[in-house]
Order: sequence, then C-alpha cells, then structure tokens
Amino acid sequence: MHNIENQRSQFISPCTRIWLGLLVLTGVTYGLGEMTLGGTQIVMLVLIITFIKSEMVAGYFMGLRQTSLLWRAIMASYLVIVGGGIAIAYLMGLK
Amino acid sequence: MDSHKPGTPPGDLAIWLFIFAELLAFGIFFLSYAFARSHNVELFNESQQHLNRESGAINTVVLITSSYFVVRAVAAIREGMSRQCAHWLAAAIGLGGVFVVIKLFEFQEKFSAGITLSTNTFYMFYLSLTIFHFMHVILGMVILVAVMLKARRGGYSAEHHTGVETGASYWHMVDLLWIILFPLVYVIR
Repeated sequence: MHNIENQRSQFISPCTRIWLGLLVLTGVTYGLGEMTLGGTQIVMLVLIITFIKSEMVAGYFMGLRQTSLLWRAIMASYLVIVGGGIAIAYLMGLK
Repeated sequence: MDSHKPGTPPGDLAIWLFIFAELLAFGIFFLSYAFARSHNVELFNESQQHLNRESGAINTVVLITSSYFVVRAVAAIREGMSRQCAHWLAAAIGLGGVFVVIKLFEFQEKFSAGITLSTNTFYMFYLSLTIFHFMHVILGMVILVAVMLKARRGGYSAEHHTGVETGASYWHMVDLLWIILFPLVYVIR
C-alpha cells in the first residue's frame, strides 16, 4: 500500500508542478502579447516559451519522458522544425 | 496486464501513429501561416489586433487544466480507482465544454462582423486553423465521454486500462496543438 502511494505521488506531484508551471508560462505569453511588442527578441522569447511548454506537455502529461530516445527524439524534432520554421518565417518578414 | 511496454508511450500504438499524423498536418498548417505572414506582415499584424486575446489565453488555461485533470484520471485508474477516474474525466470534459463555448462566442463575434474565410489571408488562416482545431476538441471530448462511461461501468482496472491512456494521449495532443496555435496566431507580431 505504501509502495502504491509512493508511486502515485511520484507521478502526480511532478505533473502538478508542471501544470502550475504551464499556467505561469501562459500568463507570461499573454502578458507579452498585451504589450503588443514586436521585434526579434520578443518573438524568440515567445517561441522559446512555447517550446518549453510543448516539451512539458509531451514529456510529463503524454508520458514521453518515460519512453525510449526514439519517441522523445521524434517529438523534439517536430517541435524544433515547426518552431524553427516559424522563427525563419518571422525573420523573413522583417526584410 | 495490458499496460504499455517499457520504452513505449502510454496507450495504443495506433493512437500514436494517428497523433504524429495529426501533428504533421497541423505543423504544415502552422508553417503555411508563418510563411504567408512573412509576405503580408502589415495585414497580419493589423488583423491580429482585432482578435480577442483574452479568450485565447483563457482557453489556453482551460485546456491545460483539462489536460491536467486527464493526468489525474490516468493516475486514478492505474490504482484501480474507476470512480475517481470517471470523476476526473468528467471534470476534463466539462472544461472541454468551456473551451467550446468560449470559441463559439469568438466565432459568432467574427461572423456577425461579416468576417469570413475570404475576408483576407489572415482570416482565412485564423478561421481554418481554429475551426480545424475546434473539430479536434469535439472529437477529443467524444473519446473522453466514451472512456468515462466505460470507467463508470468498471470497464477498466489497474491492470487493464489502455483505453484510458489512449484517450488521454489524444486529449493531450489537442492541448499541445493549442499551446502552439495561441502564440502563433494571437500573440506573435
């Protein structure tokens, strides 16, 4: 019984912290949006926050943190390619 | 025992193939939006100003919290607690409903202002992306309702709960996509 309780807290406690972290990062993203600031640094900051949030959901909520390197690499590659593509497109728009 | 093999993700392998196919489709959509924007920066920035950023942010909080409730549902069924699992799923579905209502108000506001897919390139992307995601939310809710009803009937156990993990994985994907969509469409300028 004690072992089950231990396993439960090992799963729920990190996920609760991740949930709270996601809420804070959402607040930061919204705040940056409300400042209606453009510019490369702000956009890169928003994209980095989005990457971190996505990794948190994929790793902890979807459980990819417990999987083999291949599964984690597929998800990380996806996020890097999409995020990197968005960053490149944004930089192209500056010209 | 039907829990997933070590090293593989939770839930049915087929749902993960589906999830990556969905992520690929949305990824192409996201990049199309970003590159279309690079050719129409002023139009996109001006049109974006008319979006309701508050409702976008609230919906982000709603989906993240709903996803967290699904995490709790999975934790409950892994201990064989079917009733608690069903309760957490019901709460997650309820928040899914909140997302749907907020989004419908947002769509209604845009449609009543005469905005359609053909208004301009920004709104073509905004409406098609958000409606495409909206349909995934609806499908996710249908899946969670089916899982919740089975959990309520005692159809899952600590040993056999692949269905719960499968539904959960899909719902988390819906959350993940919105986490990318919100800053891309509502925030970045």
